[in-house]
Amino acid sequence: MSEFEAQLPSSTVTYFFREAVRRIWVSKRSSFVAVVMIAISMLIVGFFLLISENLGRAVEMAQGRSRVDVYLAVDATQTQIAAIDRWLASQPDFARRRFVSRDEALRRFVSYFANLQGIITQLDGNPFPASFEVDVAPNTMQSPAFLREAKALRGISGVDDVQFDWEWVRRLKRVVNIVNIAGIIAGVVLALAAAFTIANVIRLTMMLYREEIDIMRLVGATERIIRGPFLVEGFLQGAAGALLAVMMLFVSFEIARRAIAPANSLAWSFLFNGFLPWQKLGALVLCGMLAGTLGSWMSVRESGEEAV
Amino acid sequence: MIHFYHVTKRFDAYSTALHDVTFHIEKGEFVFLTGPSGAGKSTLLKLILRQMVPTEGQIVVNGRNLNAMKRKHLPYFRREIGMVFQEFKLIERMTIFENLSFILTVIGLTAKEHKKKAYTALRAVGLQHKMNYYPLQLSGGEQQRVAIARALINDPLMLIADEPTGNLDPDLAQEVLEIFNAANLRGSTVLVATHDRDLIERSNRRVIALDHGRMGEEKAAATGKTIARNDSIFVNWS
Repeated sequence: MSEFEAQLPSSTVTYFFREAVRRIWVSKRSSFVAVVMIAISMLIVGFFLLISENLGRAVEMAQGRSRVDVYLAVDATQTQIAAIDRWLASQPDFARRRFVSRDEALRRFVSYFANLQGIITQLDGNPFPASFEVDVAPNTMQSPAFLREAKALRGISGVDDVQFDWEWVRRLKRVVNIVNIAGIIAGVVLALAAAFTIANVIRLTMMLYREEIDIMRLVGATERIIRGPFLVEGFLQGAAGALLAVMMLFVSFEIARRAIAPANSLAWSFLFNGFLPWQKLGALVLCGMLAGTLGSWMSVRESGEEAV
Repeated sequence: MIHFYHVTKRFDAYSTALHDVTFHIEKGEFVFLTGPSGAGKSTLLKLILRQMVPTEGQIVVNGRNLNAMKRKHLPYFRREIGMVFQEFKLIERMTIFENLSFILTVIGLTAKEHKKKAYTALRAVGLQHKMNYYPLQLSGGEQQRVAIARALINDPLMLIADEPTGNLDPDLAQEVLEIFNAANLRGSTVLVATHDRDLIERSNRRVIALDHGRMGEEKAAATGKTIARNDSIFVNWS
């Protein structure tokens, strides 16, 4: 540490906050615009986060229930069935399985589709193949190894077909990714726009205090002391805007959940499953604070470059 | 303490504020800087405060070469100087106490120390009873005294004043001079820029005269003897 450098005393930090609050109060209108701008930006980001969060939950639930059906050839022998069973048992991803005999498959069909029972009686025999129903661990379907295992399974003698009906889950997951990317892009763009708004507000405030800043420099105030209250001002505006956004998001979510989505509907489970977790809410508020601080930093940096 | 070596300050090709100025002020001295309006007094003070840098020459203040001083060191350097500005430069939205206390915040003193130091500084200029007034509620003379109190609050190594008596009647001017004398006795080096001839003559201190940006005369303290003279410059004292 050089002879000139010193720690920032706590009284200085208090001064930063006191001055920042006072300046916000003095420039109420422009501060209000900055807070609203941050709030709108964070609200839109929060909206994307909320959709992504609920779609993500839907994906997780679907993944948790994923199942693979291994249909056996109608003429599969007991030896082949036993071999297939052993193969399934040896694969960790296929370990939880249930054998469905041809008779049981027929019984299920009849119980599910009682009105089609006449068609079945007209057939010569039981048209349904035996199968193994395999429960797949969540997230397993994403792995390339699993796809290789499924391909290998299709090649085993006695296996007619392997079906896994989670293509829609993949599509949903793709939608979640798109929403996430759109949210990130929108978030960055809007946060920057909000930061520029705050930068302009702080620039105006600095013009208002130009003479005072000149005096501060002449009596030996460091740039840190001069910039501190402006940085805190941006930080507080960002925090206020983000908190306002969280409140508006929560109120909008609750109103929409009650007004739009009746219980147990598809929309309910997809979009109104739950509000954002506190970690994401915290991240949203942090994002607002960062945008505010970034905005004020842009302004004070310009001012510092001009100073002598 | 303050050393100017062949200092020239040009603003553009047609405007030279100071031309080849050389002088030395030692630690503990009390010096008047004088000359008619436009002589370059304010430019010289700005150069000492490093509000601007010379076009040519070197300035060394308290052992630091101002030409080479990094910007980050500037605030700490300025804290060693108590500056009294001609136009007071008080912050209008702050009370007198806050104007003084603010300097201590800048330096990093605690709130308790603020009260003690601010009160002592205001008492030194006889304005302790007006510490809760705002600058615009005070007369010009009182504002000048507040500016002096602010300059003295941190016991500066150097006290530099730009026309500190310009707005004061002779009695108040004498009071201000006494405050400067007291600061000088406490060890501060004092440089007062003024064109108040009476003040200079009454105080019997060393004088540096400028005219049209050039060194005119230097008169020694006590004897009043000219110790340096640029014969090409005519300093009009009347």
